[in-house]
Amino acid sequence: MTVLPDLLAGLEFSTLPQQLVNGILLGAIYALIALGYTMVYGVLKLINFAHGEVFMLGAYTALFTSWSFGFTQAGNKQDSSPGILILMLIVSMTVCGIVGVLIERFAYRPMRSQPRIASLITAIGISLLLQYGGQLFLPSSPPPSISDKVNPFKGNIEIPLKPADSALLAQAEQLKAKVTRTKAAYDEQLKSEKDSFNLSPVGKELRTASQDAERDYRNAIDKANKDALVITFPQGQVIMLVTTVVLMIILTWLVMKTTAGRAMRAASLDFDAASLMGINVNTVIAFTFFIGSALAGAGAMMNASFLGGTKIDTFFGMLPGVKAFVAAVLGGIGNIPGAVLGGILMGLAETMVIWAGYGNYKDAIAFIVLIVVLLVKPGGLLGSNKVEKV
Amino acid sequence: MNIQFSWKHGLIALAVAAAIGCNGGDSTATTPTVENKGTEATPAAAGRKAPTAEGNKVEGDVIKVGIVGSLTGDQKPWGEDSVEGAKMAVEELNAAGGINGKKVELNTGDSTSKAEGAKTAAEKLISDGVIGIIGEVASGHTIQIAKSAFDKGVPVVAIGATKTDLTQEGTHVSRVCYIDDFQGPVMAKFAYEELGLRKVALMTDNKQPYSQYLSKTFGDKFKALGGTIVKEAFYESGQTQFSGQITELKAETPDGLFLSGYFTEVGPIAQQVRQAGLKDVKLMGGDGWDSPQLLTSGGDAILGSFFCNHYNNKEDRPAVKTFLDAYKKGHAGKEPGTTMAALGYDATKLMLEALKKAKSLDSKSLIEAINETENFAGVSGTITLKGFNGNPPKRALVVEVRPQSEGFQVFRKAYEADEIK
Repeated sequence: MTVLPDLLAGLEFSTLPQQLVNGILLGAIYALIALGYTMVYGVLKLINFAHGEVFMLGAYTALFTSWSFGFTQAGNKQDSSPGILILMLIVSMTVCGIVGVLIERFAYRPMRSQPRIASLITAIGISLLLQYGGQLFLPSSPPPSISDKVNPFKGNIEIPLKPADSALLAQAEQLKAKVTRTKAAYDEQLKSEKDSFNLSPVGKELRTASQDAERDYRNAIDKANKDALVITFPQGQVIMLVTTVVLMIILTWLVMKTTAGRAMRAASLDFDAASLMGINVNTVIAFTFFIGSALAGAGAMMNASFLGGTKIDTFFGMLPGVKAFVAAVLGGIGNIPGAVLGGILMGLAETMVIWAGYGNYKDAIAFIVLIVVLLVKPGGLLGSNKVEKV
Repeated sequence: MNIQFSWKHGLIALAVAAAIGCNGGDSTATTPTVENKGTEATPAAAGRKAPTAEGNKVEGDVIKVGIVGSLTGDQKPWGEDSVEGAKMAVEELNAAGGINGKKVELNTGDSTSKAEGAKTAAEKLISDGVIGIIGEVASGHTIQIAKSAFDKGVPVVAIGATKTDLTQEGTHVSRVCYIDDFQGPVMAKFAYEELGLRKVALMTDNKQPYSQYLSKTFGDKFKALGGTIVKEAFYESGQTQFSGQITELKAETPDGLFLSGYFTEVGPIAQQVRQAGLKDVKLMGGDGWDSPQLLTSGGDAILGSFFCNHYNNKEDRPAVKTFLDAYKKGHAGKEPGTTMAALGYDATKLMLEALKKAKSLDSKSLIEAINETENFAGVSGTITLKGFNGNPPKRALVVEVRPQSEGFQVFRKAYEADEIK
């Protein structure tokens, strides 16, 4: 019975608050994509496997938009503005929305009267078509990425929960003088050296002295900070989270308060009855695809520009797509709050596993959570328990 | 350097996922996976088999030599550069009169950045009658070429394949680059002695045996020197958020971070490391960083980091200058973008020099002559294969990442083969 204490002893509780924050930030993106899966499923009872590829196209749209503003690899444009980011977001959302509607119109609608498995296979076909066909006309060799210059929010917000040991900090500051002194001596010597990696013996000695002093100083600072607790929010990711929340609020309003939303809910309840009541089912479905795909576009744009340097290729949407799909199932597919909950839980599960020291198994454990949830509650956390055949 | 993308049963995985309604665990099956870069540290020792097949003979007045490169797909920059380098070597030889009055003809095969493609291309070249094959850059591709060539008794000179046990395929395989057992220790030595680092954290790409092995060789040497590896964090190719891993590393207050993966993930990691507040931590890596794309994916965050490479355009050696002058003449004044042009040139020239010394113009004599190579003066350094089982002791260069205006990778320090261990 010593396993549990051993396990707990290995945990570093000082990083827990930060990891919880990381998990929520990560989960927000999953949630955004999961909404697309869940909305389409809610209305059509179809799992839109091409959703991840819509996400991929959203990232490419954001990339091309950024290029059109001069943020290319060769370009040396340095300053961006929030306006450019908002424009990139709107363009990505619009393009993805239209792509979603087109996929529905030309791939799924002709299949609608066929058995559901036919639509499902079509969805897989569209997914593969975009992944491999996309390589013909989208730049992917080598994979490009959005310039880090696009994102003007590169700093971070630090929230100190517990201050550093001021006595130790003061002690550390005393070492600073030595750092400055030895560094000055080394810099002086450097002037007479060929370069900093082929030093004369004297230069080497001075460099070692400077490095030692700096190390002592840094170690002292680290020691003072040992019990301090600071949560760091990268600005870009905070913006991602805020945007995600805003989009979700808009979505809830759209679904719950508008006529289109009511029509959508009616169609998801009973397709035929809704059309008998005078609802144009085709419009409702197109609308659903537009909204779901636009959300994926927003997620893709934010993922590709705020997490700077992320490589974009035609398989960009696969991993997030799969994880978001799992999130949707976890929350109860067809259920909108469920998708958000599932997304956040997936994000948290992933970072918690890393926090516990099992980073090697992070995906495995996230999926084990899924299996357990589905065994206990087959409909997902917020879903109905009615068994659905897919 | 070696990436091999294998889209394993992607369709099947998806179909299965569809059939059971919910499945996500198979995501790995369809994402690019890099195989190879051996995980076992088998120092290529003796016991190499010699191919028994007769090989090809030169017929007529033209000597056919083949090169396999990734002319399409993800590794296009490396493939193109290596073929350009090979063309230069052949043209120079032909301009100087060829071999015994016979001209050399370079036949090109496209591996399409895939192992299967490399195999097909090699077999096509062999059936076309080439007496030797140059290539590839990626170890995973080169292994396929080596296997096909073994059956036909044709020699292979690899360009950038660093997988340690590659040359165990047979006596017909040799290379012109260093091996993975070398570059990890080089970076460890540089980090400890030149940068003065003592507490280094590792970040390893768990999907890439190359990265796993490089992290291991780096860590072992760094510890042997007296440093501490405070933590190793794992991620996977294709991952975009690294905040979880970075938070764990940050808690250990490292002064250096060794990123053994490929540039596609290293860039975003560098940016997120800086955003997480680790401003002063030095970043380092292996030859998987060698792509100008690193500057876009890493942005300002990657500048001032160091990695290990085979060769550098800015090296102060006459051979490099001669090579660059000749290269620029044929390429509108442009310098090669990656190191693979120089290595491709070296591999080709080594084979052609061996051909001059071969007893007769056939594959079998060529294999013998290649293995007898001693003190061949290549652009990337002197290459000796005799007595080294196809793995020449090579020098490694540590370069610093600088803005494109300064030439992306700026040469900092060279390590000779005997300086390590």
